[in-house]
Amino acid sequence: MNCERYDDVLDDYVDGARAASRPADVRLAAFEAHLPGCLRCQALVADFSSIRRTAADLDEMIPPPRLWAKIAASIDADAQMPWWRRTFGDAFSAWVPVAAAAALVLLVAGVAWFSTTGRAVPPQVASTTPAVTAVTPAEQNYEEAIAGLQQLADAQKPSIDPMTLAVLQKNLAVVDRAISESRAALMNEPASAVAQESLLDALDTKVALLQDTVALGAESVDQ
Amino acid sequence: MVTTADLELAERCRAGDADAFEELYRQHARRLFGLVFRMTGSAEDAEDLLQEVFLQVHRKLSGFRGESTLGTWLYRLAMNHCLDHLRGKQAKMSRSTESLDREEAAEPIAHEPVVPSAISRMDLERAIATLPEGCKAAFLLHDVEGFEHNEVAEILGVSEGTSKSQVHKARLKLRAILSQ
Repeated sequence: MNCERYDDVLDDYVDGARAASRPADVRLAAFEAHLPGCLRCQALVADFSSIRRTAADLDEMIPPPRLWAKIAASIDADAQMPWWRRTFGDAFSAWVPVAAAAALVLLVAGVAWFSTTGRAVPPQVASTTPAVTAVTPAEQNYEEAIAGLQQLADAQKPSIDPMTLAVLQKNLAVVDRAISESRAALMNEPASAVAQESLLDALDTKVALLQDTVALGAESVDQ
Repeated sequence: MVTTADLELAERCRAGDADAFEELYRQHARRLFGLVFRMTGSAEDAEDLLQEVFLQVHRKLSGFRGESTLGTWLYRLAMNHCLDHLRGKQAKMSRSTESLDREEAAEPIAHEPVVPSAISRMDLERAIATLPEGCKAAFLLHDVEGFEHNEVAEILGVSEGTSKSQVHKARLKLRAILSQ
C-alpha cells in the first residue's frame, strides 16, 4: 500500500486536524477513511502523537541571571562605538584612512575635471548672471553640520594617534582647497549644476572626514 | 498577527527606553534560550549567541515594521544567528531550501508502534540532539515552541511545504532513535 502519499496529512492529523472541521480538505477525509485499515499509518500516528506530546512538555530552560547583565553591558558599549564600526565591524577600522584617501583622490580628480570643462563654457554665460551666488539650503545645512562637527573634532584631537591625526588634517586641508575651488568655480558660473554638485560633494566629504575624526577620537578614549 | 502591545514595546525600545528593552528580554529570553541551547547543544554557546542576538535586536529594532509579530521577528533573528554559527562551526549546515529539501535514504517504517506512549523527556532531549540542523530547527519551532507551519516557514525563510516535510522527517528520525 502506498501510504507515503498521505504523509503530509498524517502530520496534520497528528497536529489535531480533522476532516469534520475542514470539510474542504478532501485529502484529510481520504486519510481518515484510510487510517482504520492501515497498521503502518496507525503506528505512525501513535508514535508521532507520543513524540509531539512529550516535545510540547519539555522542560523550560532558564538562561543564567548574568546573561541580562552581559547584554545590557554590550548594549552600553555598542552605544559608545562609532557608527561605522557598528555598521561595518572591526575590520572596517583599518580601512578608514585608506577610504578617506581614496575619496579625496576621486574628489580632487573630479574638481580638476570640472575646472577644465568649466573653461570651455562660453564667457557670455557668466556675464549674464549675478557675480555673487546665493547660498543654497543644502549648502547652509552642510555648513551648520561642519561647524558642529568641527567643534567636536577639535575636542577629540588630543585623543587621536598623532600619525592618524596628521593624515586626517592633511586630507581636511585638501578638502578645504576643493571647497574653495568649487566656490570659485560657482562664482564664475553660478548657474552650473555641475559646479554646484561639485561643491556639495566637497562639503559632504568634509562632513565625512570630520565624522571620522570624531569617531576615531571616541574610539581612542574607549580603549 | 502583530499586536498593538508589540508595536508599543518596539517603539519604546526604539526611543531608547532601557526598561522597555529589558521587558522585551524578559518576555522572550527563556524560550529563545531553550531554542538556541537545543540547537547548539551547549549552554555556553547558547549564552554567547543570545547575547549577540539581543545586541542585534537592539541595533535592528528600527527595522521592525510590524509585518510579523515581535516574537516571530526575534525567532527569525535568533535562528539565523544560530544557523550561521552552526554553519561556521561545522561547515555542513545550509539554511537554503535546497539543503532543507535534500532527500536522504528512506528508513524502513515499522508497522506497529515502536515508541513508548510515555517517552522520557530526557530520552527525547537526547534524540533531538542527534537530528540534522535543518529538520531539528523546524521540529523545535513547531513541536516544542508551538509555532504554526506558516510561522516556521517565515522564521526559517523556507516554504510552508518545506516546514511540513522537515517536521515529518524529524518525527520519523526521532521515532527510529527512540525505538532503539
